[in-house]
Amino acid sequence: MVKRNVSSLLLLTGLLVLFFVACAPERPDDLTELLTDDLISEEMKMTDEAVGQMISSVPNPVEMTILLQKSNVVYSQDLLNPSGSISNYNTNFKKALNLGVYGTDLVYMNIYDRTVSTLSYLRNLQNLADGLRIGQFFDYETLNRLSESSRNIDSVLYITNRGFDNMTRYLIDQSRSSIAVLIAYGTWIESLYIATKVKTHPPNKELINQRIGEQKIVLDNMLHLLSNYRNDPFFEEIFLDLMDLKKEFDNVTISYIYEEPVMKEIDGKIVVIDNSRSEVNINDDIIDGISKQVEYILNKIIE
Amino acid sequence: MSEEILKALMQLFAIIAKQDVGVSTNERVYVENFLRQQLNEKSVKEYLTLFDKYIGDKKASEIDTDKEKEKKSKLISVKDSVKILGIAKKINKTLTQKQKVVVLVRLCELVNSDKKFTPQRMAIIDTAAEVFNINKEEYNAIETFVIEDDFSKWDIADILIINSEKKIPKRAKHIYWDQLEGSILVLHIHSVDLYFLSYTSTRELLLNGLPINNRKIYLFARGGVIKQPKDKPVFYTDVASQFMSDDTTINVHFKIDKVHYRFPNGHIGLMEISLDEQSGKMLAIMGGSGSGKTTLLNVVSGMIKPTRGNVYINGNDLHEKSDLLKGIIGYIPQDDLLIEELTVYENLYYSTKLVYKNLSEEEIENKVNKVLFNLGLSHIKNLKVGDPLNKEISGGQRKRLNIGLELIREPAVLFVDEPTSGLSSRDSENVMELLRELTVRGKLIFIVIHQPSSEIFKMFDNVTILDEGGFQVYHGNPVEAVIYFKKLDNQINSHIGECPSCGNVNPETIFSIIESRIVDEYGQPTVNRKVTPIEWYAHFKDKISLKKITGVFDKLPESFKKPNWLNQYKIFFARDFFSKISNRQYLLLNLLEAPLLGFLLAFVIRYIEDPTSDVYIFRNNDNIMPYIFMCTIVALFLGLIVSAEEIFKDRKILKRESFLNLSRSSYLCSKIGILFILSAIQAFFFIFVGNYILGIKGMYFEYWLVFFSLAAFANVLGLNISSAFNSAITIYILIPFLIIPQMVLTGAMFSFDKINRAIGGGQDKVPIIAEIMPSRWAFEGLVTNQYINNKYNRNFYTQRKLESELYYKNVYYIPELKRYVEDYKFRLSQGHEESICEEDLKLLRNEIVKENESKFTQYHNHRFEKTDKLVPEKFNRSIADELTSYLIRLNDFYRIRFNIVNNAIDEEIARRVSTSKKHEEYTQLLNDHHNEYLTSFVKNAMVPLPLVRLDNHLVQKTDPIYLEPQDLRLLNFRSHFLAPKKHFLGSFYDTFYFNLVILWVFTILLYFALYYNFFSKTIFFAENIIPIASRKIRATRIKIRDFLIEQTGI
Repeated sequence: MVKRNVSSLLLLTGLLVLFFVACAPERPDDLTELLTDDLISEEMKMTDEAVGQMISSVPNPVEMTILLQKSNVVYSQDLLNPSGSISNYNTNFKKALNLGVYGTDLVYMNIYDRTVSTLSYLRNLQNLADGLRIGQFFDYETLNRLSESSRNIDSVLYITNRGFDNMTRYLIDQSRSSIAVLIAYGTWIESLYIATKVKTHPPNKELINQRIGEQKIVLDNMLHLLSNYRNDPFFEEIFLDLMDLKKEFDNVTISYIYEEPVMKEIDGKIVVIDNSRSEVNINDDIIDGISKQVEYILNKIIE
Repeated sequence: MSEEILKALMQLFAIIAKQDVGVSTNERVYVENFLRQQLNEKSVKEYLTLFDKYIGDKKASEIDTDKEKEKKSKLISVKDSVKILGIAKKINKTLTQKQKVVVLVRLCELVNSDKKFTPQRMAIIDTAAEVFNINKEEYNAIETFVIEDDFSKWDIADILIINSEKKIPKRAKHIYWDQLEGSILVLHIHSVDLYFLSYTSTRELLLNGLPINNRKIYLFARGGVIKQPKDKPVFYTDVASQFMSDDTTINVHFKIDKVHYRFPNGHIGLMEISLDEQSGKMLAIMGGSGSGKTTLLNVVSGMIKPTRGNVYINGNDLHEKSDLLKGIIGYIPQDDLLIEELTVYENLYYSTKLVYKNLSEEEIENKVNKVLFNLGLSHIKNLKVGDPLNKEISGGQRKRLNIGLELIREPAVLFVDEPTSGLSSRDSENVMELLRELTVRGKLIFIVIHQPSSEIFKMFDNVTILDEGGFQVYHGNPVEAVIYFKKLDNQINSHIGECPSCGNVNPETIFSIIESRIVDEYGQPTVNRKVTPIEWYAHFKDKISLKKITGVFDKLPESFKKPNWLNQYKIFFARDFFSKISNRQYLLLNLLEAPLLGFLLAFVIRYIEDPTSDVYIFRNNDNIMPYIFMCTIVALFLGLIVSAEEIFKDRKILKRESFLNLSRSSYLCSKIGILFILSAIQAFFFIFVGNYILGIKGMYFEYWLVFFSLAAFANVLGLNISSAFNSAITIYILIPFLIIPQMVLTGAMFSFDKINRAIGGGQDKVPIIAEIMPSRWAFEGLVTNQYINNKYNRNFYTQRKLESELYYKNVYYIPELKRYVEDYKFRLSQGHEESICEEDLKLLRNEIVKENESKFTQYHNHRFEKTDKLVPEKFNRSIADELTSYLIRLNDFYRIRFNIVNNAIDEEIARRVSTSKKHEEYTQLLNDHHNEYLTSFVKNAMVPLPLVRLDNHLVQKTDPIYLEPQDLRLLNFRSHFLAPKKHFLGSFYDTFYFNLVILWVFTILLYFALYYNFFSKTIFFAENIIPIASRKIRATRIKIRDFLIEQTGI
């Protein structure tokens, strides 16, 4: 009996030894160079602060979409980037751009109160943000609030906006301003795309066209932003595409018309009303040219 | 004797008698006497007339001249010899060999009655012997025995002489019997095992209570007793044992010395039982129901230890040296012990193999065939045994086969529990004869028997009668028993044990006397007995002195001829294997179950996320994690179900084999071996089908390994419960109890962060209660392996792990630490005296110390040396400032490094998608191997807080799949759930392999629990404790009730 137990114990130990040999402890990960080499040169032509300011000057997609809605533009799902395309976005570059695109889409859907597919877009946002390692701004809590308040458009917009703002600030803070720029770029291009694609009739059409024309200023800012990163071939590519768009926009002229400000009393307070306005000269041909180039750029982004 | 035989005999008698000189008066008287012994007066006349008719009118006196005589006799002899052949052949067809021998003896006796041994007569007998196939030597012996009168001629090997002479004959056997006049001759016919007896003197001698006539030949049947008026009788077995030829059996002396047994519940089972027996005896244990027959059998066979007293075999205490003695004891329980799925032959074959290691395959086959022949089972040897409901062989055949299983081993002492219960009287007698034959071969047999027929009752050499309460009230010869009780009951004819005319003994008489009840004045029997068990016991003590057997005992065989461990294993394995594959239903169900379940499960959960698409994408199937979870549950279920009844089913066979002293471990290992093979096959089918349908690529082996390991664990667990519990229903009730906790605590259904804190929920490690759930180890192993080692992720895992670590530190950890310091500064600026909470400071100290030792320290070289200052007495503004700047430097490092790693990964991905073809390949790889839902599960993406404070530590809750175990104490192997690596003894191991090892450690532990019967011992203990406790509780309750009644008066 004793002998047998000894032998079975030996067997047991043998078995264990075999196992531990089979799964021998691993060597430490050989990633030392990533932790030691100074590969990165954080040289920038522009300060982070300036980048932040310029990004915040990019118009929020909310304004444009509200304009569309007010102009009785019919909602069209076809204009949006299909939520299934997300599986194509693998690099940070793509992810950031499409995070912007999906963000705009989400806003568009929410303003039009198309809440059915909102969730899949929310999931996409979270997914992309996770991939970019900025998931904390679309964490479980935020998403929860978003889906709970999907009936309350204002809060959805508020949360989305705040999410994007925080994200931008954070990214700049983390010396990852390029990602922030790409997100802003994506957002802007998508809303521009939607605006150029809608079909309306006068007088709404004029209003929208004028708003498109105003994007000429934004485009200049964008080019300025992107030029910072032109040493990156991907950035270079979108920069050049944008230059092409600029050519189309060059046909647009904006003139500033000055008028005297007026003082009014509203609810017992004196308010100064600025009556100056910019006048945008734009026609359908120009819109067409812009629209084509925007579509080209966007297709590259979302493909 | 049947009519036909009698007629045939009459014919034969007549033919012999009428030869040459014709029938003498003596011969006719012999025939008449013979008939008288068999028949009543009326029939005697009838047959005598028949005899006369066969003879014809030829009388001895009518023949005058010698010449005529000669002439006639020759003529008749030719005619008659044809007749003889005819009759003998007819007899051949109807009579058994035994009966034929009897006929032959009678023929010789007839001739001897007048001593006319003419050649014609002898020729007829020769012919008969030849046709009857009686061997020449035996025929000669019969002739000698019947015809010779000379003492010296009797001296042959087949004859036993009983007389009062001290001179021992040369070849014949001899029994010395004091005061016997003349000699008793006993002839043994070896081939049919019959004994004939004759007595040379005219003194009064009784055979089974009937007088023996001088020189008449009697059949000395089993259970027979020869008696003189004033002496000890000679029993059948005394005679038979003289002819025992089996020299290999050892002479066993079995002594039961004042055995007393008390049940665990306090009832007395046996009361001072004593007896002495030795080889070659068959002993009946009888008694009313509840008198402790089976208990006695269990005690004396060594299965239960007596409370007091001892059982000795050749001077060795059975219960002390059980290892030594087990091999010579055999046990045949009341229930069948056959493996129902195997054939009659196979049942015997495997038993034989288990017993004899030295025999070649051929020898074993011969042995089995011989036993089958002896049992009369040769013609059904290829039939399956079948269960009692689905009978393929009869009850008697089953019983005989059961006995055969023991026969083959030839134990010196055999215990049999109710061998005749449920059998027809014919089957009963067959079975008993089989056992009786064993005693002749020198076995000692104890048989518990209930209501034996007269025939069977007389077969016993001794009978021990027990009465209620385990009192021994009789021990001795069975026929004597009747006389003994009749005498005590003062019955008339109390000296007659058996019916004088038919020889029947009615054992029921004994019990009606023992248990007779006092009759009340209305003639109704009352519950009170006339004679209580104690009184019977007193009579027994008083009147019966037990025969003491003394002398030198044979030495017990040193060791039993059993095969070694490996061979036993092989035999057990083969036996089990063939019994399993012969059960087609079982086999088919077990082999189909797994792939069907796999198909069902996988097919149901194979879904396409995109409602517009028809293309299944593994990446988007949210059910992969649940599938892995189900794999573990299915493995447990299948593993348990195949094994849960294994040992339970075998328990009877095990009971018998416990006497073979076989290796338990080889039995268990053979079971385990078969179950493992079955489980491995099931695992293969399940995983193959399931993984294939779900498109889990390239992980078949790992899934199989885990599934199999878990099923193997469940196998051994199942064996444990099947050996611990004594009914199938208990076992199946238990299965949910074993499985459901495993389901709950796998970590898949309920996050360990969200279970009751009382059992360790939300801690930094997996709760201990879940650590003992093999399902969790299996699940964790599979999930981590699926995530880390899939064809896509394994390219990025190490980099992503680093990225995750840096990210956590950068985004959550360092800012959290900063927050504590800033809080302090803020409060200080607000003028709070006790600006920092002691606990917060402890946390800071703990974490900073940890951070100083972090693996990143060697790269950034920022070390906070003043950790000793992080105590309330020494902590101040300047330390806080230093801490802040230290944390900022750290944070910068983590931020920069994170960006570098993040970029590196991004560049790698960008490189992989640089062309559209590459991009396609990359997407394919991603779609086929990466699973989104599983990813969010292993990253714990749904966790509300990325890090939590536990005591004075910060515990990371996000990205468990990238988090290494934090507790690096030498012997600690526990970690958080889904850790990619496990730590033990200072090294890290892949979770997958580590968890596998843990599974096998569980399995091995359970094996030892099984080997040492840990669970059945625990249950036995509990079962014996609970009744005592509940009795105490009941008593207390009654006391309380009584007290309340007393107090309240209700």
